Amino acid sequence: MARMILARLGEVVLVMLAVSFLVYLVLEHNAADVAVKVLGQYSTAEQRALWLAENGYNAPFIERYGIWLGHFVTGRWGSSTHYRELVIDLLPPYLRQTAILAGTSFAIIVPLSFVLGIAAGVREGSLADRVISFVSVGTTSIPEFASAVFLSAIFVFWLGILPGASTMTSGFAWAELVLPVMVIVLYDFGYVARMVRASMAEVMTQPFIRTALMKGASPARIVFRHALRNALVAPITVIMLQIPWLLSGVIVVEVFFAYKGFGTLLYQACLNSDVALIEACAMVSVLVIVSTQVISDLLYTLLNPRIRFGAGAQGRG
Amino acid sequence: MGFKLWTNSGRKLHQAVPALADQFVKGEIGRRDFLQTVAWLGVAAASARAFAGAVSPVPAAAQEAPKKGGSLRYASAVMEINDPMLVTWTQASNVFRNSLEYLTMVDEDNITQPLLAASWDPSADLTSWRFKLRPGVKWSNGDAFTTEDVAFNINRWIAPTSKSSNKSAFSAIKQVEVHSDLEFSLHLSRPVLAIPEMFYAYTCPIVHRKFEEQGGVWSKNPIGTGPYTMVEFGVGQKATFRRREGYWGPAPYLDEIRYLDLGTEVSASIQALAAGQVDLITAINTTDIDVVKRLPNATLLSGRAAQTICIRMQVDQKPFDDIRVRKAMVLAADNQKLLDIGYRGLGVVAENHHVAPFQPEYFKLPPVARDVAKAKALLAEAGYKDGLDVTLVLGNTQGRWEQDTAQVLQQQVAEAGIRMKLNVLPSSEFWPIWDKVPFGLTFWAHRPLAVMTLDLAYRGGGSWNESHYKNPEFDTALNKATGIVDPKQRAVAMEAVERILQDDAVMVQPYWGDRYGAASTKVRGFRLHPSTYQSLRQTWLA
Repeated sequence: MARMILARLGEVVLVMLAVSFLVYLVLEHNAADVAVKVLGQYSTAEQRALWLAENGYNAPFIERYGIWLGHFVTGRWGSSTHYRELVIDLLPPYLRQTAILAGTSFAIIVPLSFVLGIAAGVREGSLADRVISFVSVGTTSIPEFASAVFLSAIFVFWLGILPGASTMTSGFAWAELVLPVMVIVLYDFGYVARMVRASMAEVMTQPFIRTALMKGASPARIVFRHALRNALVAPITVIMLQIPWLLSGVIVVEVFFAYKGFGTLLYQACLNSDVALIEACAMVSVLVIVSTQVISDLLYTLLNPRIRFGAGAQGRG
Repeated sequence: MGFKLWTNSGRKLHQAVPALADQFVKGEIGRRDFLQTVAWLGVAAASARAFAGAVSPVPAAAQEAPKKGGSLRYASAVMEINDPMLVTWTQASNVFRNSLEYLTMVDEDNITQPLLAASWDPSADLTSWRFKLRPGVKWSNGDAFTTEDVAFNINRWIAPTSKSSNKSAFSAIKQVEVHSDLEFSLHLSRPVLAIPEMFYAYTCPIVHRKFEEQGGVWSKNPIGTGPYTMVEFGVGQKATFRRREGYWGPAPYLDEIRYLDLGTEVSASIQALAAGQVDLITAINTTDIDVVKRLPNATLLSGRAAQTICIRMQVDQKPFDDIRVRKAMVLAADNQKLLDIGYRGLGVVAENHHVAPFQPEYFKLPPVARDVAKAKALLAEAGYKDGLDVTLVLGNTQGRWEQDTAQVLQQQVAEAGIRMKLNVLPSSEFWPIWDKVPFGLTFWAHRPLAVMTLDLAYRGGGSWNESHYKNPEFDTALNKATGIVDPKQRAVAMEAVERILQDDAVMVQPYWGDRYGAASTKVRGFRLHPSTYQSLRQTWLA
């Protein structure tokens, strides 16, 4: 087990190295462009040449990459040209905001989709199943930018019970989080619910479920003690995949509701060609994605003993 | 006759004033022209208004009693403020306007009022101006405000190494002569009537004389003479101002002003207004008007402004270096349709010479007529029998209506055989190249005088001359017009200026769009300023 974890961590490091090289290549292989972006369009050719020399841009690309990587792992992430602050000081508050948004959404999506998925999956073909499936497919089909507008029109303009912008200017306010979370939850729960439903439906047709039923187990005992653990494998993978999506997919929601999170930061960085900030944001995103994959693999082994004890063992349910 | 006119300085009236008063009484010039012109010549606005009121009374509006206190939340972009003379967006100036002040102030009626300068007297030929500063003004760090500060500012604007747009705007200043702590004179190389008004351009606030010594970044060291101090500042996030003690003038009503940056989507600001999270938005588009009108807790603000878009061609780049190609482009356009479809008809048609009918020096030229056949013929003559391929670059810096207008133009010129491609960039990518592309669409904000824009944009070598237009005949005609006092004579001199620019077919400048804003019903004493310079001195919260 420990060896597996170490192997996984090794993979994480390798992936991050590869991505860092690609990111650096795309953004900084043309040194002249970097000088213009950092110093602004009114800078003269002499000022740019001076800046390039001072910051080591006259060295070959590999050497520059090596130096940048060294700086990066020691926490020297450069300075943002748009926000005029050190990137390492700028990122944490925005990351925290997105973590709150993503965390809250996640905390609602998981229970909600499990409840609905189980309710739909235990009795495949029933009325409950049909209704839940219909609602799930329907809500997932409406893109976030459309549902954001609809919900805003209903709750902000018509009913007037929710705040229209979520900038949190007077400190943290739960009321301002409701609409962005609602949009994300509505978009995502249907997909996960359908995965849970499919997995449950498949497990419920297994012989051991019939055996448990004939032994006189109650429906609750069958679902929670026997079926769920087997049915969780596929949905866990899907749920862990939602985390990287939440990190970047929230851009639309964050910009629409003016929520100052990681999405708006990356959006502004790209619009303003803020090289240092883009690099840092890209690396943070990769770290989150790769970490969630590792955690997902670990959870998978916990759930599936066949993997834990080696490929030879028989399934024990 | 009743009311007499007097000057701010107490000196004699400029020799042109009695003639102007006469013209006004006879009805030859309008009230607005009269008030604006005598204000430039140093006449106190109060006396001019009283004089004008006695002749043609304007009914007074009913007034509520203003309340002191409260915090106003203003949804606005919060941009970097390093050096006020280098800002390129008026939004940045609205933020520092609470702390930094100007020599003069132009109100919403386009009348120039004294601010840091208490009075000014031009010489008879308008080439020498004597300014007296207001006594008793102190900087927020306790230093006294003197002519040393003013001279420091003016000299850095016009220095040979200056990168400011002020450099070409004030190119007529030869020398700043300091007489005492409170008096100085400007010596100009040619007569310029509207110097006092030009001092209110958004890039002209007076910064402390030690500004460069102390680092040259205003946001890190926000010293000012204004009634507010900046207590918080974050680019792209917020800026907060609190009223301070020790201001030289009457204290404004608001205790605190908070600028909140809600991003580039106007809809986010409108949602915030609907939910009562902000009190004021001054940049909304024509497409947002309907929504704002339906909000029960908000009012729509509107105003006529000389703001426009110039779809300009660089006259030294192929194919636009051939005047026949440019004329073909202009003839193929239909300005009225562009206004109706691109801006919902909410404005006034323009005539491709950047002088608005409601600006004081406007001279009425015959309307511009669309002629597709002639455009085709000109193109054929220039060697483009099979049509012409061009790319228009734009940045939607003020909203989608720029793109909408460009699309209508695209269809119009297609009829003449010009195949126009649109290259729409995000606004932050557009700004670095706005004056470098051969064919671009640029937004120009209102200026009270057309000659201020013409100076910046079309004078040979002007700071913001994006079309690289260089015509000595135009420059001479413009110099002549800027020196004339009499509004009627000035308009006549402007005929030459307008005609030359129009004939040289530098651009398609289709319309003057009205400005719109939205405010919570609690906000009082706020009027949209046509130039997007928003001052909150008279604003209070009910």
